[in-house]
Amino acid sequence: MYKGLIKGLSVIIGVVFLSSAALAQEGHPLKGSWIGEWSGNTALGDFVLIVMDWNGEEVTGMINPGTDNIEIDNVELDPSDWSVVISADDYTIDATIENLELPSRAITGSWRSRNGRGDFEIVRQ
Amino acid sequence: MKRLNVINVIGAAGAAIALTFSAIVSAHHPIHGKFDFSETMELKGIVTKVDWRSPHVHVFLNVTDNNQSVNWAIELENPSILVDNGWKENSLVPGDAITVAGMRARDGSRQIWGDEVQLSDSGRLVYTVSSQAPAKPLAGRPVPRWPEDNKPALGAGPGGIGGIWSYPSEKALVEDGVSVSMNEYGLLDNINDAARVAPMQDWALARYVHRQQRQLQDDPTYLNCKPPGGPRQYQSDLGFQLIEDKKNERIFVLLGSGNRNYRLIYLDGRDPSGQVGGDDDNPLYYGRSTGVWEGDTLVVNTTGFNEDFWFTNGGLPHTSRLSMVEKFTRTDFDTLHYEVNIEDPGAYTRPWTASWDLSWLGGKELPFSLCQHNRQ
Repeated sequence: MYKGLIKGLSVIIGVVFLSSAALAQEGHPLKGSWIGEWSGNTALGDFVLIVMDWNGEEVTGMINPGTDNIEIDNVELDPSDWSVVISADDYTIDATIENLELPSRAITGSWRSRNGRGDFEIVRQ
Repeated sequence: MKRLNVINVIGAAGAAIALTFSAIVSAHHPIHGKFDFSETMELKGIVTKVDWRSPHVHVFLNVTDNNQSVNWAIELENPSILVDNGWKENSLVPGDAITVAGMRARDGSRQIWGDEVQLSDSGRLVYTVSSQAPAKPLAGRPVPRWPEDNKPALGAGPGGIGGIWSYPSEKALVEDGVSVSMNEYGLLDNINDAARVAPMQDWALARYVHRQQRQLQDDPTYLNCKPPGGPRQYQSDLGFQLIEDKKNERIFVLLGSGNRNYRLIYLDGRDPSGQVGGDDDNPLYYGRSTGVWEGDTLVVNTTGFNEDFWFTNGGLPHTSRLSMVEKFTRTDFDTLHYEVNIEDPGAYTRPWTASWDLSWLGGKELPFSLCQHNRQ
């Protein structure tokens, strides 16, 4: 019970923190903190929080930092159409950056893993 | 194309020609966010009011359309730039009949950017602005120097009158040795030239092209009053001053644009990471700068940039890994040569250099231009 409570509080604190830290971001379009949903994820819940960074050679990051701590293994970005493939553990996210010009741009598409699949949408904070 | 009694919307081709050949097009702010350069129009009407305020003057105009009078707002240059070009607040007065050609507001409201304002009766142009720097003396004047160390003065110098550096010979970053055609806002004439502008990584090139294709309308300096960090601070005709604080071994860079921001360059040998105070890890719009004199050239190293702004007109991207080496050389009394070496392994494939000259406007003070003025 306490584990679930702590996880819930962590998510709430994370959302509050990231919402208050919304910043413009005119550099690499994936860099930043993203919040949204991967619908139908019975293992981790619909809510998803992703933090990504760009070191000049690769995009690194974490899914649900502080709770699930799923390290991102690989990110492929195709600038010709701004499609993105994020691989982390057994999760694969196929999506596209929408509204590239906005600080609050979105990444929309789908997710899949051995336990299921569904729609995916996150918005940069 | 919309055709009204007194409103003639000129086609995009005409707009391009007009923009290319008009001698008076000389806006100095990122106005693409508000006005659509692909849609020009002409208005004829009667002036009802001149609102002479920074950052942009507005002329209000009653236009008769289908026997109804409607009010339009004509946005013009910064008051100080108009004054520099010989214009006054009362150069136009209510009751004057004028014809205005310009670009229409993107939101469809009754506003246009006034490219050309003409008195209907006489045909005389008013509120024209020259993009040319004032003529320099035929014989180059010597560089002023400080008596205590014989270093070149970066401003008026000992006993001199005030002044500012302005009229940059280039208004957007382009790698030295590359020739591409673009307007004074950094908008390319041919998008196929994008890859030649600088050695961008794939994502950076795609983002640059995206900004260009959107006609620079997302420029955060215009949309959100973000400061013109990086080399962009030296690309505005609103100018800047270099104030040398010899006693404290630092230089203040005072900017005429970007809400009269300032930037500090320390010459006292300090570590650039500890100079800001407060949250030193917080990346900055102007970065952290330290400088040394190498002969008659001031060499400035700057790191610690954030990614919240465009560091040049035209929208070339940068990342927080950006570091710049700037070289300021006063080649004669009236000329400052500026060179910047860009190293950003987050956005570019190799270091690259751009450079341009600026002109000394003796006796001129920085214009009081605040982005928030006239903003909702």
